[in-house]
Amino acid sequence: MSVADYTSSRRVRLGGLAVVTLGALAAVAVLVFDVPLERIFTVGFINRTLVGASPIALAAIGGLYAEKSGVFNIGLEGFMIFGAITAAAAMYGMGGTSPSQPHIWLAIAIAVAFTLALTILYAVLLIRYKADQIVAGLAIWFMGLGFAPFAASLLWDTVRSPGLASINNYSVPYLAEIPYLGSIVFNQSPLVVFTLVVVIVSWIFLYRTQYGYWIQAAGDNPKALDTAGVDVNRVRYATVIFSGAMAGLGGAVLLAHAGDFIGTGDTMVDGRGWIAIVAYLFGNYNPIGAALAALLFAGLDMLQIQFQTADITLFGRDISARLMGLAPYVGVIIVLTVWGKTRMPSSVGEPYEKEE
Amino acid sequence: MLDATVYERIGIAVGSTALALLISLVIVAAVGHDPLQFARDLIVGSFGSRRAFSRTLQFTTLFILAGVAVAVAFRAGVFNIGVQGQLIIGGISATLAIIWVAPFLPNGVGGGIALALLGLIAAMVTGGLYAAFPGVLKAYYGANEIITTIMLNFIAIGIVGWAVDGPLRPDDARSVRTDYLPDNVALPQLLFENPNFSIVGLAFALVVAIVISIVMTRTSLGYDMVTSGHQEPAATFSGVASKRMIVTTMTLSGMIAGLVGAIFAIMVQGYFIDPSGIGNYGFDAIAVSLLAANNPLGVVPAALLFGALDSSSSYVQINSGVPVQLIDGIVGLVVLFVAAPELFRMIAKRTGLGGDDR
Amino acid sequence: MSVKNEPAKVRLEGITKTFGDVVANDNVDFTLEEGTIHALLGENGSGKTTLMSVLYGLYDQDEGSIYVDGDHRTFTSPQDAMNAGVGMIHQHFQLIEPMTVLQNVILGHEPTVNGLVDEDAARDDIEEICSRYGFNVDQHLETPVEELDLGTRQRVEIVKSLYRGAEILILDEPTAVLTPQEVDGLMTLMEDLRKAGRSLIFISHKLDEVLQIADQITVLRDGAAVGTVDAADTHEQELARMMVGREVLFDRLSRETSVGDPVFAAEEISVLGDRGLEQVSEVDVTVRESEILGIAGVQGNGQTELAEALTGLRPVESGKISFRDADITETGRRRRIELGIGYIPGDRQIEGLVQNYDLVKNALLGNQTIEPYAKNGWLDWGAVSEHADEIIEEFDVQPPNASVRATSLSGGNQQKFIVGREIGHEPTVMVAAHPTRGVDIGSIEFIHNRLIELRDDGLGVVVISSKLDEIQKLADRIAVMYEGEFIRTVDPDEVTEEELGLLMAGKRLEDESVDADAEPVETDSEAQS
Repeated sequence: MSVADYTSSRRVRLGGLAVVTLGALAAVAVLVFDVPLERIFTVGFINRTLVGASPIALAAIGGLYAEKSGVFNIGLEGFMIFGAITAAAAMYGMGGTSPSQPHIWLAIAIAVAFTLALTILYAVLLIRYKADQIVAGLAIWFMGLGFAPFAASLLWDTVRSPGLASINNYSVPYLAEIPYLGSIVFNQSPLVVFTLVVVIVSWIFLYRTQYGYWIQAAGDNPKALDTAGVDVNRVRYATVIFSGAMAGLGGAVLLAHAGDFIGTGDTMVDGRGWIAIVAYLFGNYNPIGAALAALLFAGLDMLQIQFQTADITLFGRDISARLMGLAPYVGVIIVLTVWGKTRMPSSVGEPYEKEE
Repeated sequence: MLDATVYERIGIAVGSTALALLISLVIVAAVGHDPLQFARDLIVGSFGSRRAFSRTLQFTTLFILAGVAVAVAFRAGVFNIGVQGQLIIGGISATLAIIWVAPFLPNGVGGGIALALLGLIAAMVTGGLYAAFPGVLKAYYGANEIITTIMLNFIAIGIVGWAVDGPLRPDDARSVRTDYLPDNVALPQLLFENPNFSIVGLAFALVVAIVISIVMTRTSLGYDMVTSGHQEPAATFSGVASKRMIVTTMTLSGMIAGLVGAIFAIMVQGYFIDPSGIGNYGFDAIAVSLLAANNPLGVVPAALLFGALDSSSSYVQINSGVPVQLIDGIVGLVVLFVAAPELFRMIAKRTGLGGDDR
Repeated sequence: MSVKNEPAKVRLEGITKTFGDVVANDNVDFTLEEGTIHALLGENGSGKTTLMSVLYGLYDQDEGSIYVDGDHRTFTSPQDAMNAGVGMIHQHFQLIEPMTVLQNVILGHEPTVNGLVDEDAARDDIEEICSRYGFNVDQHLETPVEELDLGTRQRVEIVKSLYRGAEILILDEPTAVLTPQEVDGLMTLMEDLRKAGRSLIFISHKLDEVLQIADQITVLRDGAAVGTVDAADTHEQELARMMVGREVLFDRLSRETSVGDPVFAAEEISVLGDRGLEQVSEVDVTVRESEILGIAGVQGNGQTELAEALTGLRPVESGKISFRDADITETGRRRRIELGIGYIPGDRQIEGLVQNYDLVKNALLGNQTIEPYAKNGWLDWGAVSEHADEIIEEFDVQPPNASVRATSLSGGNQQKFIVGREIGHEPTVMVAAHPTRGVDIGSIEFIHNRLIELRDDGLGVVVISSKLDEIQKLADRIAVMYEGEFIRTVDPDEVTEEELGLLMAGKRLEDESVDADAEPVETDSEAQS
């Protein structure tokens, strides 16, 4: 088997696995729970999945840029938490408990700016001071788990924010009336469309511009890029800072859809940053693949709502929402197990130094 | 981090802690509270009274065990972030094993000791298995253990949380919990009068730390593990079956993590509760272990530090008005600085301290 | 040959470069005339690559000046050097394996239209370069580099430099990874480049290649320039003397002992490499007591995989491995160590030593289950420490201090320590992979003598090497490995270096007399026919 066969068989496996997973879910739904499929895959389910996938896809794209360039940003989860709390705080600061739609957009921008600033410090630690990428990434997560509820307590005396505001769907007159398609395409959250644009632009940037070439080179053979006259660490600074900002954006988008901040337990981000990492691994470091994987995980997450609204029972008992909510985590483990040996860029995790 | 000398490691640990505490003082001042009051409350809240001290030791006991669990894995180059999930599984298993077997054993002290031992064993077995699973996935399927163990944390919290609120919850329980453990299952109260702490529990944790330290430095298994963590191809060359070693390491780490859950159930709580509310021992343990450069004995002072921080948190909130969550943030800062020893080498060089020019 | 009244293409004056305490270049002068090939000759570690890295802007020199076309230049990055027309083809190719040839060639100099890379424009430029110099890489432009063989990758590297406008090409040991045919192709290419007016610096430690292609030769030794000679006015013996500072003769050593019984054998084993491709195809190996079996071959023809299969580090796909009549095909590495199968690994930095361990801890590596160092799982550090001191003493490891970390030893001393430790296992069979790679001359002789002693003590020894002289000196029987097969087993006394070289290149000899007196055919591969 040649290397070419090997890589193309991987691509086939990727698509195949996604199809098999969805097929298995459908089969489980139909056979075990005796549910007609149309009660699971409703328009509402598709819309909830799109909304749920957006933050994961955004963070995943950030993460894959960093990793493509040779830095494993394991702090995505933490940056998402910082993004969410900053957006909530900004929204509350501008509009109190009833912020307007422009306040939401502004709050998202502030959250991105704040996480971007934070990631600059993080990038300096990783690149300039060669911090251990895994440990530093975990630290960002821990800091998010501590400082976000801390900030919430300062602002609202409790780790939960009061109800703020969530983003309104845009609605195209008449077209939105079209069955199915209309309510998905023409009556949708603008942030979902925004995410879609980001996915496509980041794909073009990575595979069709010289900067994209440099990012790929920095992760695979940094010395080659250096000898080609491109500063490896500058590329890595750019991607790491981008990844943090994107994770912050993801957190802000999550908040803008939810409408309030929850700081209990693992916070409202609740593992989405980790799932984002798996999404880009599953998507083979391709922004479009990562977005599709995000859809898969978000769909698993939204199944619990479907099961409840569709009154689905197992052996005559209600299925606990709490147990159904574990589906994405189980999905992640299955994906990693079946799909674990992804082809990582060869120089991930190694600091680059000109003179050794 | 593995290539630093002992003095450097201690310097990095002290420097990281000092820098993190300093930043937290700045934050406290910035949000309008008195940083000096905050610093004083940290100390009074952890060591200021016999009660505070015993509470500090209570947390220290759990942190020692959890820190050793993390250290074992990190030393061998396996990133077990799942100690939290493993201790939850271990804790619920210990609780259930004791409750289920109690009716068949006599009521006295002997029965209590037997039940406690049974609980410890049950916790080690289940904690070990719950860790071996991601170990197998990593070794034989290449699944990144950082992510699988984090997912398994979520899953452990979800399943045990559901069970404790559902099938395992007694009808008369007002809060989410299991049945109480029998009265004879408790560690003896010596020196300190604190229903949630026993010096025997602390002694047990210290013994575990010492035993693991001996295993790491004086046995073939320990050498195999540490060598795998340093340089995996060299370990393979020397005859270590690397895949099996990953599973062994995870299992050992999970067994110790299980003990944390058992000690939590037996010594601290007396029953088991919704795991989303038992405290992040498994995560803080990562900070404890890193601060100790993953040395099982170094874990002891690091655990005391984190035990004191956790112990003082409620006192701090009541007296200084600073939200307790700041403590978790400080933990994150400590870990962040521990990750960047070069930062301290640079500081040391600039300030002329520690002229060890590397 | 060169136009003397014009300034030299490149002139380096008094270059000094140190790394910590190590002086890599000591006040080196070097002049490259336009349109010539100038060889930089020296042993491994003599400072050739460092000097050229200074010229290429990868390192900043501590002292000295660089002149290109007579102008004083300061290069702080390869970009500066490239702008001055200097290109370097590194020994380890600087290619991005998953990216295509075209993307690799234009990396860092991508033509763009509206912000997007204009691959069509790039393709035209590259095809123009290829046709001018007679390269044949243009049909590979859309192929990912990882699918190309090493010779093609090297041509991609050269095209890359030319695409960037290089007038001066530095080739760092370009022949090290090539088969003899590929070397011939490279030589032709270098001549074409010279004809086209390019100036080439050819880094090598191979005398014959240097004499064949170069106009001038500068010899480096221990970081200093020993002298520059015209290729036409010198010969191998002179160059060798300049390189090592004394006359060296690698004579074959005569043997007194007779070969014993087979102790270790592999039958028709096939082994997969890291990428899942078959690297060893149905090879038979028989190792006898009191015999050194040499396995010769250009690196990357399956020798590493074979060594790892024999020593238990890599599973075999098919076939059987036996040790003293016992089947050990499924036996793990640890058990094979205990049985007495010693292994000097090819990569001492990664496999042979734990770099951050001191020598005491390293003395235990591989001995974890061997008495007296370990008993029932408990370690006896006292015994290990004594063992470390013994190795240091007996094998003359410098510095003689067991508490230093492995990483602080020189390559030769690291290798001596490993050899000492592996011999200390009291093995029955020793597999030595590239036992003297990157080792200084003194240590080479020392290690060779130890391997011969092992043979004379009755051990079966396997030496894997790509150095012809080493194989010819040590081996009692030479099996030549090519593309995963033993294509021939020969008697070292009956074969010339030229014939060995041809075999290593995959050429099967017509003249059967070559192995007339070789040992029986057990070691021949079935695939020979």
